[in-house]
Amino acid sequence: MGSGVSNIAYVGATNVISSVGFTTEECFNALERYVSGIVPVDDPLLYEHPFLAAQVDWQRLSAMAQAAGLDCYTGTERMMILSIKDVLEQSGISLASKDAAVIFSSTKGNVDLLSQSVEVLDEGAYLWKMAQRVAGYFNAFNKPEVISNACISGVSATVIASRLVREGVYRHVVVVGADILTRFVVSGFSAFKSVSSRPCTPYDANRDGLTLGEGCATILITSDKKLSCGVAVEGGAITNDANHISGPSRTGDGLCYAIQQAMEENDLTSEDISFINAHGTATPFNDEMESKAIALVGLSAVPVNSLKPYFGHTLGASGLIETVMCVEMLKHGVVIGTKGFAELGVPEPIVVSGVHQPISNMVRCVKTASGFGGCNGAVVLALEGHSKAIKVKENGGTAQHIGSCQIADGKVVVDGSVVFEAGGDFAEFIRGAFKHLEAPNMKFYKMDNLCKLGYLAAEYLLKDKKYASLDLGIILANRSSSLDTDINHQRILNEHSEAGASPAVFVYTLPNVVLGEICIRHKIQGENTFFINEDRSDSFLESYARMVLERSQYKAVIYGWCELLGNDYQAELVIIEKK
Amino acid sequence: MEKLINDLKVQLIEALNLEEITPEEIDAEAPLFGDGLGLDSIDALEIILILEKQYGLRIENPAEAKPIFYSVRTLAEYIEKNRK
Repeated sequence: MGSGVSNIAYVGATNVISSVGFTTEECFNALERYVSGIVPVDDPLLYEHPFLAAQVDWQRLSAMAQAAGLDCYTGTERMMILSIKDVLEQSGISLASKDAAVIFSSTKGNVDLLSQSVEVLDEGAYLWKMAQRVAGYFNAFNKPEVISNACISGVSATVIASRLVREGVYRHVVVVGADILTRFVVSGFSAFKSVSSRPCTPYDANRDGLTLGEGCATILITSDKKLSCGVAVEGGAITNDANHISGPSRTGDGLCYAIQQAMEENDLTSEDISFINAHGTATPFNDEMESKAIALVGLSAVPVNSLKPYFGHTLGASGLIETVMCVEMLKHGVVIGTKGFAELGVPEPIVVSGVHQPISNMVRCVKTASGFGGCNGAVVLALEGHSKAIKVKENGGTAQHIGSCQIADGKVVVDGSVVFEAGGDFAEFIRGAFKHLEAPNMKFYKMDNLCKLGYLAAEYLLKDKKYASLDLGIILANRSSSLDTDINHQRILNEHSEAGASPAVFVYTLPNVVLGEICIRHKIQGENTFFINEDRSDSFLESYARMVLERSQYKAVIYGWCELLGNDYQAELVIIEKK
Repeated sequence: MEKLINDLKVQLIEALNLEEITPEEIDAEAPLFGDGLGLDSIDALEIILILEKQYGLRIENPAEAKPIFYSVRTLAEYIEKNRK
C-alpha cells in the first residue's frame, strides 16, 4: 500500500430480485412507472393477521431455481445464486479466479430454518454456512466474507468492497445481499410498533411507520474499466450515533459524519451532489433524524428520495437494492419520486418530491442507510466522466498493538495478566466480572449475553484509555452472529405466538448491537462493522482493521472476536494505534 | 390499589430486567422515565406488553401512553379505571 493514486472502484454488472422485478432493468422500469411491490399479505406462516409487505414472486423464483437445479438450496440461497449468476453472466468473470472475491450482506440469512426447531440447530442458520454454500455453487477461490450490520449491511458491504478494490486487494468483488420476510422478522417489527397499516410514505406529514419487504441484489465492484457500467464508487464511510441501540439519534450527527467523511474522500462540496437517496423508512424518528443530518452536513438544497414505497424495507438487502437503483438514476438522469409523498413532515426543510424529477446536469449521488445499533453508512457514486481517481491519503504511520483483553473459560485477561477469575455458568461469571470493575451501569442487566460479553471486554480494554468520539473505530467478528438471542425470540414465538414477541429480546437479534452498546458507553462514533466468520483464526479481520486505521483520520481501532452461544463464550479484543 | 402497585413493581422488575432493585426501592410516585429507573423507549414497549398480557388492556397509540406511564401510581390508576 504505497502512496500515490489508488485504483478506481467501478460499478460493473448489477442485478436486483425484488417485489417489482427480477433484473435491474425490470425493477427500474417498474419505478419509472410508479409501480410498487407493496401488497396485502395474508399468510399465517408469516403473521397471524393480514399485513402489508413488498413480497417477491416466489412462484417465479421457484421455477427459475428449479430450471437451474437449485432444489437443495434454501429460499434465500436460491435468490442469491440466481442474482450472482446474472451478474457473472453479464460480466464474464468467474469467482473461481484468485483475483475475485464475494462479500455477503444479510441481517437474518436463513433464519426461517429456526422455525422448524430451536432445539436442534440447522447448520444453515449460521450466516457463514449460508455464504459458503452459495460461494461453493460458484467454486469460489477466496473465502467469502459476511457482513451483518443491521439495516446498513448493504451500504457497509459496498463501502468495504470498494476499499478492497481501490487498495488492489482484489480486482473484482461481487457484493450480494438478501433478506426475506419471515415470521421472525414480521413479529419483531410489529412488537416494535413500527409497521404502518398503510403503504409507507417517507418524509410525509402523515407517515406512521415502515412497510417490510424482501429481496436480493448483486453488484460487481471492479478496477477493470472495461467492465464498468459507467459509474464509479468514489467514497464511503460508516459511523455510529453512540446514542441508543434502537432509537435514531436526536441530532443526526452520526449520519452527518458518515456523509461528510464519504464526501471528504474526494474533497466534494454540496454543489457536487445531484441527489441523495436516503434510508427513508417512514418511521417518525428515522426520517426526522435524516432531515437533521442532511441539514447539518449542508445538503438541504439537494433533492432527497426514498425507494421504500416501491421495495418496502428489505433490511440487509436494502442498501444494495437501492445502490443499484442509484446507479440507474444517475445513468437515466432522473431522481425517482418518493411515491405517496404529499406534504413534508420532518423538522428540517429538505427537498422531497412525490414525482420523478429529471436532472439535466446529473453527476453524482450520495446513498445513505441507518440502522439498529446506532450505525450509519454513506456511499458516493459518480458518473464515470466526472469521477476522479482518489488520492491515497497518508494519515500518519503504521498500526501498533497497544492493548488486549480476552474473556474465556471463566477468566478475564488484560494485556496477558489474569485480572478476574470465577467459576459457574456464563451468567454467574459475567455478573462477577462486571461487579469487579466497579463501574455500575443499570443498562448492563438489560443486555443480552453477547452484548454483556462484548461490553465487558471493551470496558476492561479501555479502562485507562481515552479517545475523542471520531478518533476510534471498532470492527468485530464472530461465528454465531446473534443466534443465541435469535433462538430465544423464536422460542417465544413458538410458545406464545406473535403477541408474546418481546421488543427487548428482538432488538438484540442483530450481532452489531454489541457494537452499539460499546459505542454508547465509550461515545465511539467511528467505523463500526460486524463480520461473521466460521472461525477466529481468520486473518482478514486484522488486515482490514489495519487498512481502516492507516487510511483514515482515526487514532486507534479496536478489532477482535466476540462469540457466544449458550454457555460457550469467547471474547478477544485488541486495540491498535497509529505509531 | 396498594396491592396492584406492588404487583406492578414486581412485574416491572421482571420484564425490564431491573436487577438489584427491590419493589420497596421503587417510589410509586417518582417518574419512571428519564432519571429514576432510567427507562427508555424499549422499556415503554415492554410496559405496553405487560398491560396487554397481564391486564388485557391495549394501548393503540404509543403517543397516548405518556401520561399513563409517568409513574407506577399513574399506571395503577389507569389499570384500575379501565380493567373490566
